[in-house]
Amino acid sequence: MNRKHFVTLGVSGVLLCAVVLAGPKNYGKKLTLKDKTKVSDILANPEQFAGKKVLVEGTVVDVCQERGCWIKVSSDKEFESIRIKVEDGVIVFPMEAKGKSALAEGIVSVKTYSKEDLIKQGEMHAKEEGTTFDPATVTGPKTVVQIKGEGAIIK
Amino acid sequence: MAEFKWRKWNNILHRDIGYLVVAMTLIYGISGLAVNHVADWNPNYTIEQEFLTIPPVTGKDKDAIVHEVLDRLRLDTAPSNSFRPDPETLQLFFDKKTYTIDLPTGNVMVEHTRPRRVLYEMNQLHVNAPKRLWTFIADIFAVALIAMAVTGMFMLKGPTGLAGRGKWLIGTGVLVPVLYWVYHVNFP
Repeated sequence: MNRKHFVTLGVSGVLLCAVVLAGPKNYGKKLTLKDKTKVSDILANPEQFAGKKVLVEGTVVDVCQERGCWIKVSSDKEFESIRIKVEDGVIVFPMEAKGKSALAEGIVSVKTYSKEDLIKQGEMHAKEEGTTFDPATVTGPKTVVQIKGEGAIIK
Repeated sequence: MAEFKWRKWNNILHRDIGYLVVAMTLIYGISGLAVNHVADWNPNYTIEQEFLTIPPVTGKDKDAIVHEVLDRLRLDTAPSNSFRPDPETLQLFFDKKTYTIDLPTGNVMVEHTRPRRVLYEMNQLHVNAPKRLWTFIADIFAVALIAMAVTGMFMLKGPTGLAGRGKWLIGTGVLVPVLYWVYHVNFP
């Protein structure tokens, strides 16, 4: 093998890597569901989906900056999004996912938090995201709908 | 039959495994320090914010608003995606850059996100983000560290070996996690 062959092989390898890296990326477990559920349907009737496995699709509009332990996926309706929360370290979403399309699968979780819990969470998220949080914005208990993510494809 | 010189082989193993795991130990050590203080800084990315102002945006539907904002920001390239978290806010997503526009005031926050060179890769390996083959490599590294610890105890004989000050230093090393755990359980 001469130098020309090495150069050709090297360039081909770099191009192949670029193609592979630019393509869709899988996170966590392989997706098992074929039928997608609309995020708007989940948010409109959370109790109907609580505990059920769903496959949702949307744009990644936010990513956990510190641990990559959640993404927010836009709904099919304006002004709505849903958080896909994964266990720390099991899946690590990169910040580069922001703005990309995601197919995510997981179990719908519906939980009502007390005012005190919401203030604690707000303070924690503000610290994670480097933003400020005003406890006065929490007026009472709130039901939070999210998906416990098991797997995702981001492209 | 020649006597089996176990200590000699123990030291050879310790030395050569040590050489093999230098890079991995540095990766896990440096990223361990970085990730351990994740509450105080972002060990993976640098996030810079820039603030701009454009005239208030008056468009009614999303497409018109996006078009108006791109025009006012003098951006030639279309965003990869856009999102309206609420009626007064628009987000435009570009590669490693997000524009968040407060439509009624025209206040714009541009967030530039860049991975920290080398440290990002180290952290990703430390938290086993790649999974697959890396899980296997990390397991081998863990076994190698155990081998280093075990062979390390038997490298020397005499007053500096296990029978000498070695036992006291090992005992101290055992006490640190044990005492901390007792403290943690009793004073959570």
